[in-house]
Parts: sequence; C-alpha cells; structure tokens
Amino acid sequence: MNAFSYLDLLNLLGPETILVLTSLAALFVDLGALRDQPLPRRWLAGGGVTALGGLLAILWLTNVTAQANLAHGILVVDPLTQLVKVVLVAMLLFTVALSLRAEFTEHVGEYFCLLLLATVGMMFLVSSEDVLTIFVALELTSLSLYILTAFNKRSLVSAEAGLKYFLFGGVAAAFTLFGLSLIYGLAGSTNLREIATNLAGKGTDPLLMVALIMVVMGFGFKIAAVPFHLWAPDAYQGAPTPAAALIASGSKVASFFVFAKVMALGFAGIEGNGAWRQFAPGWVPVLATLAVASMLLGNLAAIAQSSVKRLLAYSAIAHAGYMLLGLLAMSNPHRRADGMAALVYYITTYGLTTIGAFGVVQIVERTGGDSLENFAGFSRRAPLVAVCLMVFMLSLAGIPPLAGFFGKFYLFTAAAGAEPGNLGLLWLVIFAIAMSAVSLYYYLQVLKRAFVAAPAEAAIAPVVSFMERLTLALLALAVVVLGALPAWLLGPIADAIKAAGF
Amino acid sequence: MQTVFFYVFAALTVLCALMVVANPFSRNPVTSAMFLVLTIVSLAGLFVQLHAFFLAAVQVLVYAGAVMVLFLFVIMLLDLKEEERRKVRKFAVIAGGLAVAIIAVLFCTAIGQTTAGIGVQPILEGGTAALGELLFKHYLLPFEILSVLLLVAMVGVILLSKKDLK
Amino acid sequence: MTTLQSYLILSALLFSIGLAGALTRRNAILVLIGIELMLNAANLNFIAFWRYGPHPEALTGVMFALFSIGVAAAEAAVGLALIIAIYRHYKTANLDKVTTLKG
Repeated sequence: MNAFSYLDLLNLLGPETILVLTSLAALFVDLGALRDQPLPRRWLAGGGVTALGGLLAILWLTNVTAQANLAHGILVVDPLTQLVKVVLVAMLLFTVALSLRAEFTEHVGEYFCLLLLATVGMMFLVSSEDVLTIFVALELTSLSLYILTAFNKRSLVSAEAGLKYFLFGGVAAAFTLFGLSLIYGLAGSTNLREIATNLAGKGTDPLLMVALIMVVMGFGFKIAAVPFHLWAPDAYQGAPTPAAALIASGSKVASFFVFAKVMALGFAGIEGNGAWRQFAPGWVPVLATLAVASMLLGNLAAIAQSSVKRLLAYSAIAHAGYMLLGLLAMSNPHRRADGMAALVYYITTYGLTTIGAFGVVQIVERTGGDSLENFAGFSRRAPLVAVCLMVFMLSLAGIPPLAGFFGKFYLFTAAAGAEPGNLGLLWLVIFAIAMSAVSLYYYLQVLKRAFVAAPAEAAIAPVVSFMERLTLALLALAVVVLGALPAWLLGPIADAIKAAGF
Repeated sequence: MQTVFFYVFAALTVLCALMVVANPFSRNPVTSAMFLVLTIVSLAGLFVQLHAFFLAAVQVLVYAGAVMVLFLFVIMLLDLKEEERRKVRKFAVIAGGLAVAIIAVLFCTAIGQTTAGIGVQPILEGGTAALGELLFKHYLLPFEILSVLLLVAMVGVILLSKKDLK
Repeated sequence: MTTLQSYLILSALLFSIGLAGALTRRNAILVLIGIELMLNAANLNFIAFWRYGPHPEALTGVMFALFSIGVAAAEAAVGLALIIAIYRHYKTANLDKVTTLKG
C-alpha cells in the first residue's frame, strides 16, 4: 500500500499519457490555430495529430517492456494487456483514417479528443484487476461513446440514438454499481483475485447470485448481449458511421476482455454448471443463457433488416453470443488460457472486420443512404470497395479461409474442450454452428445486392478518397492474411498469455 | 437512540423516494426533483449514522447542491410541462411495478439469508485525513481517470448543449 | 435482524423505487432521476458494508462511494446535455414521442 513512484507510473502508463496529451493537442490545435481554416484542412490536421499520437503509443507499447501489478491490481501491466492495447490503438487509427472525409460536424477538435479519450478509457479498462478502477474506466468509455453517438448535431436520429444509448447505459451502470457494492460487501475487497479467494468458502449465498446477475447485466449491456441489447441497433444506426465503427470494435474488444477477466478471475469458484441436465447455479448457466438468446435473436432479427447499419448491429449481437462461448471456455481453470487466446483472436479479427464493414457503409451512404437498395449494383460503381465488402461479409459469416472462420473454429473448439470428460458445452457449440449457418443468409443478401442486382437508374458512383481505399484494402488484407496464417496473431497471443501467467 | 434515528431517516428516505417516482398529487418534474433533494439529504443523515462524515458532507454539497441545481436548471430552461397522463399504458405500468416488486422481494429474501456482517462490531470512523492520503496514494490512478472523465463530460456537455451558429 | 441487514433492505427498497421510476416514467429527466436514486442506493450499500465489514480501516467502501458520486455527477451532466439536444430537435423530453428509430 505504499505510494507510487511517479516515474515508474509514467513508464507503465506511457501510452495512455501520450493519448491524453494528444487529445488535448487535437483540441488546442483545432480551436486555437485552425478556427478559420476550411473544414477539410481541419479534419486533416486533427486526424494527423491523432494518428501521430496513436503511432507513438503503439511504438511505446511494442518496444517498452513493462510488467507490474501496482496497488493490489489497480494497475496491471503485462504482455497480454499491452497486446490488447495495441489492438485498441490500431482500431482507433483505422477509425480516424475513415473519418477524415466526414461531413457530419464542424467540431473537429472535440471529435478527435473524444475518440482519443474513449480509447484511453478502454485501455485503462483493459489494464485493471480492481473493480473500482474498472467501474470508473467503464464510465469513462461509456460517457465518451454516448457523446460520440450524439455527435451529429444536425441529425435528429443521432441525438435520439445518443439519448437512448445513455438511458440504457445509465440503468446498466446503476445495476453494475449495485452488484459491485454487494460483491464488495460479501468479499470485503475490490481486487478480483482477492474477491475469488474470499468468496471461495461462501458457497452459493443467494445475495451473491443477485450480485453476480447484476454485474452480468452491466457487462451484458456493454457487449450488447440479449436481453440488454436494445440500445445497439439504434446507436449503430443513429451514430455517425466512424463513431459506430469504434463502438462496434474497440469498445467491444475492451468490454469483452475485462468481462472475461471479471468472470474468470473474480468469480473463479462459482462457475456452476451449464451442461445438459447437470445444472448448478453460477455464472456459466447465466452466460450460456445470454449466449443462446443473443445468437438466436441477433441472427433472426438481422434477416428482417433493410438498413445495413442495423443489420450490422444485429450481427454484432449474434457475434456477442459466439464470443460468450469463449468466456464459457474459461470456466475450467486448467483450460483458461485456451479460452482467452481464442477470445482475443476472435475479438481482434471481428473488430477489424467490422470497422471495414462500417467503412464500406460510409461510402455507400454518400450515394443516398445505408439501406439494402443503395447497395444495388455497387460492384459496378466501385469495384475495389465492393471486393473489400465481400471479404468483410464472408469473414463475418465465417467462410474459410478468412479470419472469421478460424476465429469461430478456435472459439468453438475451446468451448467444446472446456469440460474434457463430459463434453458439457457441446450442445451450445452445436447451436452456435447452426446459427452461423443461418447468418450466412443475410450476409449473402448484402453481397447479392452489391454484385448481382442491377444498379438503380439514378445511381451515382460514390466518391472514394485515397485514404479510404488504402484503409479498406489494408483491413481486407489483414482479414485474409490472418485467416490464411492465423499463427501470425495466435502465436503472439499465446506467448503473451503465457508471459502474463493468466 | 441510534435505532430511532435510523428508522426516522430510513422512513424519510423511502417516503421521499416514493414521492420522487410516484407522486399522487403532482406530476410536475420540479416536485420530483425537490423530493430527490430531500431523499439525498436524508441519505446523508444515514451516512452520518454510519460515521461516514466526509461522505455525508460530499453528498449534500455535490448531490443536493451541484447536481440538483443542474437538474432544476435544465427542467426550468426547457420549461417542461407536467407529464401527460397516459391512457392505454396502464398495463405496462402494472407489469413494470410488479416486476420491480418481485425484484424487491427477491432482494429482501436474499439479504435475509445472507451471513455477511453477523457478529461484526463497528470500530472505526471515516476520517478525512486518512481518506485524503488514500486518495492520492493508493487510489491515485482511478482519481486521474476520474479527472479525464470530468474532462470528457465538460467537452461533451459544451458541445451538445451549445447552439450552432450556422 | 442485524443492523447491516436493515441498511441493506433499505438500499434494496431505494434501488427498486429508482428502477420503477426509470422504467415507468416517460419524461427523460425523470428517468435520469430514477437512475440517480439507483446509484444512491448503491452508495448506501458501500457505506453500510464498509462500516460493518471485516476491514473498515481500509476505507475501500467510502472510497468507492466517493468515486461513484463523482461519476454520477459527470453522468448527470452529460445526460442533461443530451436531453437539451433532444429538446432542440423534438421540442419535448417525452420518450414516447422520441421514436424515429425503429426496427
């Protein structure tokens, strides 16, 4: 419980510090120096400053090796958290690259400032094993994302989406806080590992179950799992497209990572049993229920959508269901590393794919809107972008040899192998495979419009900037390469997990 | 004496909270906000009972003072009229009330069965000096995160509530 | 019943009342007020658990409540700003009338 050495702290928190300073720089450069400049130049300058900060942070993360566990888990820095942080900053950079031609706001400085601070929130979220810090970081992320959702002040739906996101999020935060208060009371600590130790002898106190469900509700909201998903379609549709891309990628990566840590470390010992006919109360049956509901509702509702952003939202809900399988795989302490590796691989590739999909949607939106009709004949109007769209959609559907396929493969094997003796979660894996077959239908619907349907009479070719082409091509390439050579990502993940001693 | 104070403040808290949510006499948001102030102040009374003196002060200063002024300011700025009484949504209200009642009963039974806090005697008081030291040593990092959070709130609120001139 | 349990029951009641308000009222500001009640209930829990818990000298519960008050203040500010933004577009804060997004 001794004081920090500030120099050590700076060394450990270099990337976060850089990003906070960059956010202030973006704000001051835009408001101070570029107030009267034309808008495109301001976007370029703000994006440049942000990208510079992001690149510096990535350089720091990849070159400075640091490992520490300060003040009972308030700050945990190890290779695994550093790796996830690199992923988060990379997602920020892609989002920034896609927003350079945005026209939804004149408040450029504030926009980049909030993007950066949202990412800082996610990074703090990733590197903490103390529920107090997790709660504060969660709120930092959430508040930035609420504001980013409502960022388009000229748009009715943006404001509405922001308010709905906020109100659902506020209730979820209250549930989380109440649940955490009960856990603090029962375990007498806020450190995840100490909570697990102190709860070990308690058995299944009914109050503990109440607390568990309330905490799950809070995180279920963040990852948009059914039945806490109601905000997601509205927020994805109403938010400015690059902001929606960050909500769908970075926020999801950070939330899932910390959710996994809270469940696997904090609630170790009260897993319960979700196997067929061997039900026992704990977090496994709770999460299994959420996973089934998310896969079912997400996939079925996505079929009925005409707005592609809404379709991506429901697809995100379904994917949250698949990713929950990764958490379930962690219920067995001996196989925890496998589950974690599969989960990190999946959320990384899923996040990259989704940013790409939103990037394409943003380009299509310039020709009128994001409904399926606007995609008609898209391949003839913008061939390169359409090919990228195909890669993203097929990867989301889980077609080999793309990254989405291997993600699902590792996730499902990890879940099926979680209980080696009795194949406990096999029913869930079979259900997930069936549901991913259903999902193929609506992804192909989008591709059918883009590649087969004839373009509308008045259809215009969208303007695509060089930066957008480059970003989308890079993302598509990443999806293909990570699918063809999954070891490139899985290897570092496995090393990091081993080094972190997870 | 302790228990008498507890029951007085507890009753006040619950009564005022009920008046915030379901006031039979008025549907005016200002009334709700004023009753929320009363709830918060009686909660501060309970905090004093629990010897969390600093927190009681913060509760009154920050919540009853700053936050509630903000609420009243926005209510009056927007000149929100009384909420219209709805006709058909009675079912939803009954269902919602029932669900919440079930949650409350679940809570209370769970609390009744819990073993936490049995046989433990209160010993210490929440001194401000110890709190301050802890805040700037052990909890330095969340403190800094909170300051970033306040920066986000400030930027966001100015952005969202400012009227664009163009 | 122990003293701790009576505090817990009080906070559970407060939380339920706040939840009922957040779910049934249609005015966005009143929903926000309901959320504030729920957060306050959690704070009461923290203090009660701190006072009657095994390690009151660590002051963790008080600290958590302190942070949650700070977070709640920021959250209320952002929420009210969002309500102002909604009011600009819709000229109302009634959630039944803010329903452009559907599906």
